[in-house]
Amino acid sequence: MEVLENLMRNQAAIGDMTIHILRYLAPMLAVFLLARCMKPLLTFRKEPEIWAWLNMPDGTQIPITHWESVIGRSKSCDVTIDFPTVSRNHAVLTRYDDGSWTISDAGSKGGVEVNGKKVQICALHSRSRISIGGVEMYLQPITEKQEVRQAQLRTKAANGWDTVANLLLLSILQILMALGFMLSGTEESVVPVLQGFGGIIACQWLLFLFYAMIHRASFEVETLAFFLCTMGMAAIVTVKPGETVKQLIAMVLGVFTFLLIGWSLRDLERAKKFRYLATVAGVGFLVITLVFGTEYYGAKNWLIIGGMSLQPSELSKVCFVFAGASTMDRIMQKRNIFMFIVYSVLICGCLALMNDFGTALIFFCAFLIIAYLRSGSVGTVALAITALGFAGVIALKIAPHALQRFATWRHIWGDPFDAGYQQCQALMCLASGGLFGLGPGRGLLQHVFAADSDIVFATISEEWGLIMAVLTVACIVVLACFSIRTAQMARSAFYSIGAITAAGVLVVQTILNCLGTLDVLPFTGVPFPLLSNGGTSMIGAWGLLAFVKASDTRQNASFAVRLKGKEKS
Amino acid sequence: MNRVTNRTWLMALFILVLVGGMLFFLGDYWMHADQWIASPGSPHVYNNTNLGCGTVVDRSGNVLLDIGTERSYSENTTTRKSTLHWLGDRKGFISAAAVSHYAGSMVGFDRINGIYDSGTEGGVAELTLSVNAQNTAYEAMNGRKGTVAVYNYKTGQILCAVSTPTFDPDNVPDIEGDTSGAWEGVYLNRFTQSTYVPGSIFKVVTTGAALDCVPGIYDESFLCTGRIQYGEGEHVATVTCERAHGTMDLKSALANSCNCAFAQIAELVGRQNMEKYVEQFQVVEPLKFDGVTTARGNYNIEGAGAASFAWSCIGQHSNTINPARFMTFMGAIANGGQAMEPYLMAQVKNGEEITYQAEGKLSDRIMSKEVAETLKAYLRSNVKNIYGDWKFPGGLHVCGKSGTSQLGGGERSNAMFAGFVDDERYPLAFICVVENGGYGSATCIPVLSKVLSACMSAMDAA
Repeated sequence: MEVLENLMRNQAAIGDMTIHILRYLAPMLAVFLLARCMKPLLTFRKEPEIWAWLNMPDGTQIPITHWESVIGRSKSCDVTIDFPTVSRNHAVLTRYDDGSWTISDAGSKGGVEVNGKKVQICALHSRSRISIGGVEMYLQPITEKQEVRQAQLRTKAANGWDTVANLLLLSILQILMALGFMLSGTEESVVPVLQGFGGIIACQWLLFLFYAMIHRASFEVETLAFFLCTMGMAAIVTVKPGETVKQLIAMVLGVFTFLLIGWSLRDLERAKKFRYLATVAGVGFLVITLVFGTEYYGAKNWLIIGGMSLQPSELSKVCFVFAGASTMDRIMQKRNIFMFIVYSVLICGCLALMNDFGTALIFFCAFLIIAYLRSGSVGTVALAITALGFAGVIALKIAPHALQRFATWRHIWGDPFDAGYQQCQALMCLASGGLFGLGPGRGLLQHVFAADSDIVFATISEEWGLIMAVLTVACIVVLACFSIRTAQMARSAFYSIGAITAAGVLVVQTILNCLGTLDVLPFTGVPFPLLSNGGTSMIGAWGLLAFVKASDTRQNASFAVRLKGKEKS
Repeated sequence: MNRVTNRTWLMALFILVLVGGMLFFLGDYWMHADQWIASPGSPHVYNNTNLGCGTVVDRSGNVLLDIGTERSYSENTTTRKSTLHWLGDRKGFISAAAVSHYAGSMVGFDRINGIYDSGTEGGVAELTLSVNAQNTAYEAMNGRKGTVAVYNYKTGQILCAVSTPTFDPDNVPDIEGDTSGAWEGVYLNRFTQSTYVPGSIFKVVTTGAALDCVPGIYDESFLCTGRIQYGEGEHVATVTCERAHGTMDLKSALANSCNCAFAQIAELVGRQNMEKYVEQFQVVEPLKFDGVTTARGNYNIEGAGAASFAWSCIGQHSNTINPARFMTFMGAIANGGQAMEPYLMAQVKNGEEITYQAEGKLSDRIMSKEVAETLKAYLRSNVKNIYGDWKFPGGLHVCGKSGTSQLGGGERSNAMFAGFVDDERYPLAFICVVENGGYGSATCIPVLSKVLSACMSAMDAA
């Protein structure tokens, strides 16, 4: 008996000791992991690529460095021909996955002629004579040999062993975290902890194996995403241990969505078809919510199906990114820009009826990004007007409901027990944890409403420390910086716009969630991507990641980009 | 394509907002995290608005409250009752601001480790109170409502401050369902949060004013016929005494607590001077100590007729005082015109480290040394010649003034007694209020006598 008691006492002491080490070890591991993932994402070399030459009548050769190039008089064109009969934006030259080229008229005055015939869009063959506003030229694509050589020269995304090392690091962190929970928790918490953390570990290794099978090595984006999911799981284990399996299933569905969207993006023609589907689905999700949805806290954005509560507007965001992305030749046509404006007005109408301020704000930011990236000289004015209208609807229809939240902004300490309750509790608990946290399961913020979603940043901070919580934000920042770099190298405007908009939505959500919790900005109750407890938001966030991933053109990097070597074999 | 890729910088703008916001927050954390943690409602530090961590002990180390995993009070029933208003109850109905003010020092916070090192154990807060004095005071109040408090006017330490009614936090009575009125105001700390009509103890204020501003006041004599009439016909108003006191000087007017004489003194002092001295003596000002701000008293003679003004100098009219503030006023007289301000928290320790150490604070001079000395002599003569030294613990030079404040509405008067001990060894100022207690001296002196004895033993023990 005495031995048993001693053992129990020792176990408690060992537990305390382990937590004592863990609270320093966990952030150290996480910092190391983030640094390792960040380096290849932010420092890869931007390789200059030449896909074809445009031979001019005077014998000069203009290199074509993108798959989509605008030809025109304007200085902002990819190929500038300063000749009076050439329109400012005259034509778009497009390369396809199979190496074929087309030229399309971008609504020019003088028109585009190929081999003497006026065309809207026309496939180009070698020696096809192109006439743009009377200026004659012909396109000379690089040879297949050159293309293979070029592909070989591109930066290799990563070496497989680095990825294995990263995943091992993440797994060690996950195992340590689970151990921490089991040492300081009750017996009932063992099963949810094992399910939650074990499930993530299994999922990340399975995805890695799948990548290995299709010869893709870059796993940094995914590693960061799994790190965020792990921290989110840590919050759920503390706050709602019963929901670990639900969140795990959502994560698996999210990974599938990620792969599905990635696959659809892999072939631009396929992507364009998927785009129609997504466009309809985007509105569809909102309309379904409006018709069958349930109102919580004044916002009608929940759908209850068989005891499961869904937030379809989260998936709508992904669809909106899909709808907003567009290839250069389409961007140059006024009709398409007006179609997008009509679509945005439709979405805006649905959001106004839903009354959800946070969601509306995210869509608004996404719209701003898309509008800014797409706006050619003509569309700028029209887009600006729509943006104004969008903002107006938010201001007039939705803001009054959100005003109460604004009233407490920067004044939470004046009302710590009512209007400022959640945020004051969040800050107090966050401070209690210091830089290294109080240890898993030892926080008290878990008793406050939405501790695993709206104020999840503080929950993580309380138990795992401010360093760990800041790292979750750093993950989003790294993904966003990466999206800028890849968007600049993407083959098509479709990928650039997709990547930037998707990353933009992730960043805006993080801004609203995190800075709202910390009373730097008004509190809007938007989920932190991948971190907050919430199934639909989890799936949506993985869907958005697919766009970031798809624009990555490094060799072997993305499953969304075909391997050149494989194509040849 | 260039056009699109050149515009991807927009993303940098969003990143900048996020990073800028985080940096702003981290700065905020570095500057204010210690305040956040000690803010009321902080889950690791508070239980509702009351202290939620650490241990609270009295001046001799007796544990009054131990907040480990649950809030456990003293093992002694009387102690639990007598100290409840300083510790707060479990549900937070009684707000114990003085102790929770030091939550931040008790919790042992640092920016790097948060509260990890101190955990939920917290520190040890040592109060200046003596459990014995508290319990003696509680028992002496004998179920009556009111407050009795004693403090050391040389150091500022509050040795005893009890507010009744009170209850046992381990055995909470049905307060909500009670209709008898027995628990009226039970959640208030009457010492700090209540105000009372002062009655005759306010005559000390008027006397102080007269001594300072009426030339030749020592030579003035006042005739009491038992009644002074103001005005004519319908507008007649009177100031009355229970009996005709005859002719007196200022000293015996105070000793006899003669209303008619004080009505005449009021005229000599004048309205403007009265307002000036009430302000100068700070008797209606809120007192601040250990994060507590006491209730504000009232002295308002705007639009008051001659009789009402006279009554205001006698301590009636619309006058109110807060017991803690008036006790401090007594301390100032005892201390030669300058009060040591009272305090409750002696020291906070976190582990071996002392995170808070009280220092006595001398307030502004509110009256000249001469006025203070004369008042002291008058108050001493009150006890010696009127109330009787024998009623107090043997050999003590007690100075004081009783009050019987009339409440109107047929309610029995409140019994008041305020004063101090003029003794180097036991420099104690005190106040006692027994609601509906009748005559001030008869009701309060027996209570004070016991409490003073207990306080003296506590001082001897130290």
